[in-house]
Amino acid sequence: MAQIATVADASVAAVRRPKKSMWPSAAALILTTVVFAGVLAFPWLNPGYRALSFAVTTGITAIVLYGMAIPFGQAGVMSLGYAGLMGFGAYTAAILSRDFGLNMWEAMPISALVAALAAGLFGLPSLRISGHHFAITTYVMCELLRIALTNGGKFTGAASGLDLPPIGTVLGVKLDKLSNTYMLVAAFMFISMLAAYCIANSGYGRTLRSIRENEQLARSLGVNTNLHKVGAFMLSGLFAGVGGDLQAYNFRHISPDLYGGATSLYFALMVMLGGPRTIFGPLAGAIIVTFLPEVMRIDPVDSRIAYGLALIAVVMLLPGGVITAVGRGYQRVARTLRGRDAIDGSPDPGASWT
Amino acid sequence: MATLEIKGLRKTFGGVVALAGVDVTIQSDEILGVIGPNGSGKTTLFNTVCGVYRPTSGTIRWNGVDIAGKPAYLIGRLGLGRTFQQAMSFPALTVRENVQIAIEHGSRREDDAGPRWSSPEELLEFVGLEAFAGEVTSVMPFGNLRRLGVAVALGGRPAQLLLDEPAAGLNEGESVQLVHLLRRAHELGVGICIIDHHVGLMAELCARLVVLHFGNKIADGPVDEVLNDPKVIEVYLGGEE
Repeated sequence: MAQIATVADASVAAVRRPKKSMWPSAAALILTTVVFAGVLAFPWLNPGYRALSFAVTTGITAIVLYGMAIPFGQAGVMSLGYAGLMGFGAYTAAILSRDFGLNMWEAMPISALVAALAAGLFGLPSLRISGHHFAITTYVMCELLRIALTNGGKFTGAASGLDLPPIGTVLGVKLDKLSNTYMLVAAFMFISMLAAYCIANSGYGRTLRSIRENEQLARSLGVNTNLHKVGAFMLSGLFAGVGGDLQAYNFRHISPDLYGGATSLYFALMVMLGGPRTIFGPLAGAIIVTFLPEVMRIDPVDSRIAYGLALIAVVMLLPGGVITAVGRGYQRVARTLRGRDAIDGSPDPGASWT
Repeated sequence: MATLEIKGLRKTFGGVVALAGVDVTIQSDEILGVIGPNGSGKTTLFNTVCGVYRPTSGTIRWNGVDIAGKPAYLIGRLGLGRTFQQAMSFPALTVRENVQIAIEHGSRREDDAGPRWSSPEELLEFVGLEAFAGEVTSVMPFGNLRRLGVAVALGGRPAQLLLDEPAAGLNEGESVQLVHLLRRAHELGVGICIIDHHVGLMAELCARLVVLHFGNKIADGPVDEVLNDPKVIEVYLGGEE
């Protein structure tokens, strides 16, 4: 499958392009502005409480997905452990609040750090095993965490979980009001997006891609592939930790079931559906998977079946994710409209990272 | 000048003896060829030197430092570059990004050995791939892919380059270009050690030849001498005629 994807990628990109600059193209900037404006305008469209709270969850999920896109999209290592990592962040926040009275902001760096360390631990098996085998290992780790949390007694609140205080007020803004929570989450989501973009376009991002493309060749050039694989996981763990901290304070009650393997599978579906190597892929994936059953009024059991089918369909039909597919469709239309030659150097609307 | 000193190098895979105690000294001021029938241990020699395999026994010294059994990435960082038998690249990336990755890692080295490249373009021009900078490597013709392999290895700023059959699959014209490219790389101070089956090419390019047979070194010396050695003719050259 991976090879088919590569060949398909290549045939589109075979047109010689001028030297690619670090700065995004005009179309990418316009698209970014549209997304930015759309996200910020959403609460003013009177979406209603339910949709707005879904949007907050979507934003928090997207933060985790942007982290996940670093090892998966850039280094090419797929992990199903992200719900668990988010759980490390969330439980750290809840325990720090209960035992030390820390608020969301004070707990955030610690949550991020704890999740990053856990991510390093989750990533260790990737040095020995790869592909599906590694993905399954991380899924199992997630389930183990869920069992540990359920049996953690008073420390983790066992099956009923832990409660958290409200986020509170910053500079006179009551962040617990849902529309304000939304803006807070949107801000963190955009920061994650920017961070992931910068990482992908840095020398470090290139190093990770060299691991994805050819580990043996990368090693011969002096790339410590093991270190960078675990490093990429730890970096993505920071995102998951921040997401967990925000989620804990958004829900104000967390329980082990939120952080099991099933949630991780949804995350994987979102990232793959959206496209892990595109700027807007993780956000698009989170939105589609969260809102589609709502909009189409599919009942929860049916939607699970639909997700399973969707995952298979994405892997088979859209290996680069929907954003990449939309980008290709756009290019094809542009080519027909402007004639074949005009496509040279035209901006990629999917604003691919690589 | 850099020196790679291999002594008593032995590598076995289960019961199979791939290298049965090989002694070779490679100086970076020479162009050395390694020939031998299939299965004689040529690639195993490179892979063991470069840290892909851990030697069963024996020593490998690179500028006096013992590198036997060290991980591949550390050996790459010490200025020992290599290419692979299968033409390798980072397939989904552009030609430019391929060499950029190599240069970025090569330039992190602290020693002064090996050629310095100010930009990916400079290196691509050196190997004659500047026109393909924006192309994705998975759609490149095979000859260019071979040349890109050499470019990526050179980007890593090697003092000594080990090339594993770089001319395999190339046509006559491409082979000539490759010989020319390797000569120019050698003029930049890169030691060249090359495995190939094309005896004509080896005779033209190399000053010295080493012949392996069933994991043993059976000849080592100036090209003319080695190619006229009755033992070499019997096990290798004779078999082809």
